[in-house]
Amino acid sequence: MKFTPKRLDGNVNVSRTHPLAELSWLLGGLILITALVFFALGYSADWAATKAPISVENWLGRQALSHFPADENPALKQQLQALLDSLPADSPLHQYNFRVFLSPSDEVNAVALPGGNIVVFSGLLKQIESENELAMILAHELGHFAHRDHLRGLGRGLGLAVAATLLFGQDNAASSLVSNTLLTFQLRYSQTQESAADSFGLDLLNQRYGHVGGSTDFFARMAKKAGGKIPYLLASHPHPEARIEQLEGLVAKKGYKVEMTYPLAEGLRTVGQ
Amino acid sequence: MEVILQNFDLVIFLFLLCLGYVAGSIAEKRHYKSILQREDELLKLPVVTAEARFSDGRVQKAELVTGSAVISIDYFKRLLAILRNIFGGRVGAYETLVDRARREAILRMKQAARDQGAGMIVNMRLETAAIGNNANGKRQIASVEAIAYGTAIVFNPK
Repeated sequence: MKFTPKRLDGNVNVSRTHPLAELSWLLGGLILITALVFFALGYSADWAATKAPISVENWLGRQALSHFPADENPALKQQLQALLDSLPADSPLHQYNFRVFLSPSDEVNAVALPGGNIVVFSGLLKQIESENELAMILAHELGHFAHRDHLRGLGRGLGLAVAATLLFGQDNAASSLVSNTLLTFQLRYSQTQESAADSFGLDLLNQRYGHVGGSTDFFARMAKKAGGKIPYLLASHPHPEARIEQLEGLVAKKGYKVEMTYPLAEGLRTVGQ
Repeated sequence: MEVILQNFDLVIFLFLLCLGYVAGSIAEKRHYKSILQREDELLKLPVVTAEARFSDGRVQKAELVTGSAVISIDYFKRLLAILRNIFGGRVGAYETLVDRARREAILRMKQAARDQGAGMIVNMRLETAAIGNNANGKRQIASVEAIAYGTAIVFNPK
């Protein structure tokens, strides 16, 4: 047999797909699947939120409260009551039995927990200079209740927590564990929900005082400290400057008046010190 | 500027990804060009995997020749392979690596044989090994080694 050297063209061992094409397929698929799972979870959470009975909501509220070493504060309660009184009589918020807690923490934040519980951190009170600012923040939290965000915010974990309660009973260690782990990172709302709550808060502030003076003061103070906008894409609240912009837009659109603010009540001013 | 500093991790990742893709593609293109050129040059040196028998007096010398090559993955290929690990399927990104390693190893073996004046290589075998993949170190550099070895036959002049 004669040996004839011959070069073979082509290469069967290497796929012809361009690596960039492969990358876009794989990345696209991954993003699509993540998005699908995320939305499915979101929708099922919304569904669970509307079906959850009040007793479960109250129980969740107690579990959530145990995270915050907090006491009920009469001065804050007075402020909140004034806001509640200026709500229209048919507001669904009247069905709640609201309680306001003051939690000693440096965090500049306030949270709406299930069962009509609002926790204000003392770090927030330190930053506040007028009664109107405080009213704006409380009204913002009431906005979360009005939109039932406090349940949807808990959302992703709520179904599991309800299931755990049904399986193990309300006072079982296992259900406490489930709700504790879930609640700690479910205490966040989407930025859309925050904007909607801001808008609700502004309307309520106007009803309470007849003007919206002080609605943006607190955010203006925070904006000075906050810095750039980019990291806020992933933060729990919209950037203060964006909130101010939105609020000012609403004030102009609805023709609200801006007048003098009232100083903070004595009892609340000393808390921060 | 602030944006870049605040997302430094992401910037480094994207930089490494682009670097991996550009450098990896250039290296691969140049390597294939060199492989094809040397394959042409060594085309007349036959390599067979079969055992061979020669008539008495034909073989002057028979000697072991080896050639080996280690090719590393780049950052881009690593990402592709990680994504492939999720979905399954052919890891196309690694195919060129293994192909290059095998062909380079065979070429080096042939070169070694030619240096000895061999007329052909019989009983050629190929083996591959993964380097830096074991020892539970995640940050290890993964690369592939191919070893080609065979018996180089130097014929007596007729």
